Amino acid sequence: MNPLEELLRRVPALLMARRNLSRNRIRSGLAILGIIIGVLAIASLGMFGTTLRTGADQQLGDIGNEISISPNLQEGVEELTDRDVDEIRRAVSDGSVVPIRSDSVLVSRGDQQTVTTIYGMENPGAIYEASDGRVPDRLRQGALVGSGTAELLDIEPGNTIAVDGRTYRVSAVLAEQQGISLVNPNSAVVLPMEDVNGTGYSQVVVSAESGQAANESAVSIREELNEREERVTVFELQSITSGIDQFFGILNTFLIGIGSISLVVAGVSILNVMLMSTIERRQEIGVLRAVGVQRGDIIRMILAEAGLLGTAGGVVGALVALGAGVALNSFVLNDPMATFQPINFFYVVLAVGFGIGTSILSGLYPAWKAANERPVEALRN
Amino acid sequence: MSHIIELQNVWKRYETGGEVVEALKDVDFHTDPGEFVSVMGPSGSGKSTMLNVLGLLDTPTEGTVLLDDRDVTDLSDREMTARRKEFIGFIFQSFHLIPTLSALENVEVPTLFGDDPAARERATTLLERVGLGDRLDHRPDQLSGGQKQRVAIARALINEPRILLADEPTGNLDQETGRSVLDLFDEIRREDDVAIVAVTHDPQLSDYTDRTVELVDGRIQ
Repeated sequence: MNPLEELLRRVPALLMARRNLSRNRIRSGLAILGIIIGVLAIASLGMFGTTLRTGADQQLGDIGNEISISPNLQEGVEELTDRDVDEIRRAVSDGSVVPIRSDSVLVSRGDQQTVTTIYGMENPGAIYEASDGRVPDRLRQGALVGSGTAELLDIEPGNTIAVDGRTYRVSAVLAEQQGISLVNPNSAVVLPMEDVNGTGYSQVVVSAESGQAANESAVSIREELNEREERVTVFELQSITSGIDQFFGILNTFLIGIGSISLVVAGVSILNVMLMSTIERRQEIGVLRAVGVQRGDIIRMILAEAGLLGTAGGVVGALVALGAGVALNSFVLNDPMATFQPINFFYVVLAVGFGIGTSILSGLYPAWKAANERPVEALRN
Repeated sequence: MSHIIELQNVWKRYETGGEVVEALKDVDFHTDPGEFVSVMGPSGSGKSTMLNVLGLLDTPTEGTVLLDDRDVTDLSDREMTARRKEFIGFIFQSFHLIPTLSALENVEVPTLFGDDPAARERATTLLERVGLGDRLDHRPDQLSGGQKQRVAIARALINEPRILLADEPTGNLDQETGRSVLDLFDEIRREDDVAIVAVTHDPQLSDYTDRTVELVDGRIQ
C-alpha cells in the first residue's frame, strides 16, 4: 500500500472526500480554478507591489543615505568656512564628508563651448562613480566631466578642455545620475577644490552607510552648528524616501485587498459547488447516518472536501504566482531572482492560507446542513 | 425477556399542511433473535414509519422503544447513532451503495469512521459469504441488481448487528434473484441468530418468515 493510500485509510474523511471530488471532475476542477485565480491574484499583486517598491528604490538609489548642509542665507551666512567643515567632520561619526565649492564658468573644447556649473571637491569618489575612466580618491589635478556636458562637448577621458581659461586633462566621465540627487553632476564639471574661485564652501554633502546613520548625523550637525544661531540648513532626503516607502506599503495593501475580492468570489463558487454536491448526495449521506456515522464525521468529511479543493487550488495558484513573479521581475527589473525574497514568500503563504481558509469557511454551511438533515427525510425516495 | 426490540403503545403523528396525520396508532410489536418477521400492508399504512422507529431513525410521538431491554426512546442523536451502529443493519430497496467506492469499501463504510483494524478482513469474509468473493474491487455500476443487494447485505452485517431491517429488499429484483436474497436472509438468521424485520409487498416472503404482521392505517391487525 503506498503512503497516500495509507494516509487516506487512516483519515476516512479524506478518503471519502477525495472519492467524492473525483465524481464530478469538471465541477471540482472549476471550483479549484476559482481558488487558483484568487490565490494568484493576491500573491501576484503582492509581488507586483514588491517589484514596484524595488524599482523605486533603485531609482532613488542611496539618496536616503545622504544629507546636504548649506549656509543659511536668511541669517546672512554666505558660505561655509573651514571651521564649519571641521565641526561637521566631528559631528559625523560614520560616513564621508564632501565639502563643495561651486561656480558657473565657461567650458570649452576646441571650438565648442558652453557655460556650466563647476564643483570644487577634494574627494568626489565618495559620492560619484565613473562611467569611463577613473575617479581618484583625492582630486589634485585634472577634471571630471558630467555625462551631459561630456555628450554636449563630445568629451572622452584623455581629452583636454579649457575651464575659465585654464586647461585640464579629463580623467573621467561620470556615470549618469538617475533620479533625485543632492549634487547632480550630469551637466557639470568637477575640479580640484583650489581651482575654484573663493575661500568658503557652498555646500557640504555627507554620505553615510545607511539612512539611519544619515539621520543621526543630521541631528548632531544641527546640534553642533546651530547651537547659538541658525548657521546652516540641513537637508535630508530620508524623510522623503521613508514617505515613499510608506506609500508603497499602502499601495501593496490596497492591491492585496483587490486580490482578496476575487478570492471571496472563489469562496462563493466553492459554497455553491459544495451545496450542490451535498444536495445531490442527500440519500448517500442519509445512508451514512443510518449505518452509524456521526454528525461530526459528516461535517469533517465535507470540510475535508472543501479543504482539498482549497489546498489543490492554493498549491497550483502559488506555483503560477511564482511563475508570474519571475516573468514580471525579469521584464521590469531585469532580475528574475528578485522574486525569491522573503516578503514575496510571505505574500504567497498569505495567499495560500487565505485560499484554504476561504474554502473551508465556504464548506461550513453545506457541511452543517448535510449533517443536520434527518436521515429519515434524506432516505425517503 | 428475550425480545431484542420492542415497541410499546407507539404513536406517530405528523403535521402536514395544518393537518395531523397519524402514521402509527398504538402499535405494539416485538421480535426475538433469530426470528424473521415481515410487515405487510398497503402503501401509506405506516410500514416505513414503523421501520424507521424500529431502526432508531425516527422517534415516536408517544410510547416506548426498547432495544435489548433498554429504553432508547429519548436518546440524543449521538447515542442513537451509536446504537444503530452497534445493533442494527439496514437494507434498502434501492440498495443505496456509494457509487465512488468499491464493493469492499462499501461494506466497510459503517466501520470507516472509527478505529477498527479488523474491518477489512471481516468485509472480505462477508463478501465471500454472499458469493461476491471475486467482485471485491468492482464499483456498484459494474454489479447487477442482485449483486448490489448482496453487497448491501454484507454492509448491513459488518458490525455484527442483532437486528436486520429491510425495506422492500426484493422490490427491485426479479423473482429468482429475490429468492436467492431471501435464502441468504434465512441463512443469516439461522447462523447468526439475527432478528430480521422486512417491510414488503412481496408475497413470496411469507414462504420464509416465521410470522407476518399486517399493518392497515397505522394499526396492527
